[in-house]
Amino acid sequence: MAVSGFEGFEKRLELRFSTTNNNPMGLRLIDFESLDQVLNEVQCTVVSAVANHSFDAYVLSESSLFVYPTKIIIKTCGTTQLLKSIRPFIHLARTLSLTLRACRYSRGSFIFPKAQPFPYTSFKDEVVIVEESLPNSLRYRKASVMTPSNNNNNPSRAWHVFTASADVEPDEPLVVVEVCMTELDRVNARSFFRRKGDGKNSDSAGKEMTRLSGIDMINANAFICDFAFDPCGYSMNGVDGDRYSTIHVTPEDGFSYASFECGLSLYDDGHGDISEVLTRAIDVFRPGCVSVATTYGGEDYSHEVTKRVERMLAKKLGLTCRSRLVDEFPGSGTVVFQSFTPRRQYSSPEGGEQ
Amino acid sequence: MGTAISNMLGAGEGNESEHSGVTKLSSSAQWQLHFNGMKDSNQLLVIDFSASWCGPCKSFEPAVRHMAVKFTDVSFVKVDVDELPEVAKEFDVTAMPTFVLMKNGKEVDRIVGAKQDELENKVTKHRGGQ
Repeated sequence: MAVSGFEGFEKRLELRFSTTNNNPMGLRLIDFESLDQVLNEVQCTVVSAVANHSFDAYVLSESSLFVYPTKIIIKTCGTTQLLKSIRPFIHLARTLSLTLRACRYSRGSFIFPKAQPFPYTSFKDEVVIVEESLPNSLRYRKASVMTPSNNNNNPSRAWHVFTASADVEPDEPLVVVEVCMTELDRVNARSFFRRKGDGKNSDSAGKEMTRLSGIDMINANAFICDFAFDPCGYSMNGVDGDRYSTIHVTPEDGFSYASFECGLSLYDDGHGDISEVLTRAIDVFRPGCVSVATTYGGEDYSHEVTKRVERMLAKKLGLTCRSRLVDEFPGSGTVVFQSFTPRRQYSSPEGGEQ
Repeated sequence: MGTAISNMLGAGEGNESEHSGVTKLSSSAQWQLHFNGMKDSNQLLVIDFSASWCGPCKSFEPAVRHMAVKFTDVSFVKVDVDELPEVAKEFDVTAMPTFVLMKNGKEVDRIVGAKQDELENKVTKHRGGQ
């Protein structure tokens, strides 16, 4: 592992609102200047964006922002100040007569935890800050660090979740899958470096990376808004009806990282089966270490799906599930956190002893 | 400064290639007039399909205005998909912003999304006489 480098692991915030007015656009009516100001506080900017009839998708200098009529999802990496966005978003929503009814904050374990600014040096501090920013009406709250106990030498990456909700029943019909990958296959990671004198710009280089890496085949129906950073790095938002997906890549050896996230339904409704989508996404990167955190919002949790994902990742990608943790969050649903590593563990020059 | 004035004047004010800026076409009649007028022209026409509620479109407006000022030999027009839904449908616009580049009445290129480098690149590529 490198001593220092760019932190790929993201902090993710989801805010869900209920509406007292009848405007179907809801949060999408927040004017862009106001959104830009919030992003400024968080220390990131918009580099690309697209909208369809269901939601707005922004690619940021440090990850992504999605604005639905009653939901905001913001995910930022590096050393960004994500939690500073909570109060401004709540305030902006209120001006549109939208009331916050649920909040979820989640993240993995940082590769460079000491490089993070306060309060991100400790999950306990993050929870204090989030709680202070939320109204009392969100009275069902829970914080949890899901820590795998593992028998191999890979660093144990925990999954941190904080949820707060006005109702005890979860309300989100879609399942959210957050995949974090480290120790990316070096050859695959090379696709995400800009080639010198390629005669391309960030948009066309991004488009080429999408195609060459196979990212465009994860969900062939999705419109992809991509962006290539200089000298390396890649981000994309996928837009498919009301479904979002997002991928962010830090390809540098020593701290390589890629994330894949999407919202989907458990029922195959033409958008792709969850285990197939996950397999295709992980196959792009062939990582040495993968974690999958799945939040079953409104669905009755189905153990069958969890097992199906494990079977397919084992069969198609030779990944063994080393740990599976399940926890319940009032108002948010069931969270399943699985950690995988290749069935055959090779000693990795960058990973230290095996 | 010129762009602010041209936006205030709205659409259909004389010869669009005389002032730099983005011309908003708000009605079917304005659209037909402008589009038909360009059919036999070698001038590059860039149609910006957007919506009043579209955040990504708003985020991109300064960049588009800047390009319109820079490329005075190109005609930039703006179409709101709610005001002119039949035009949006005709051009198969499903995501926004969508930029359709036309020359001699034919589509030569299109960009979907607020992609600054890509739009600038393609406008530069197509604007010359070809």
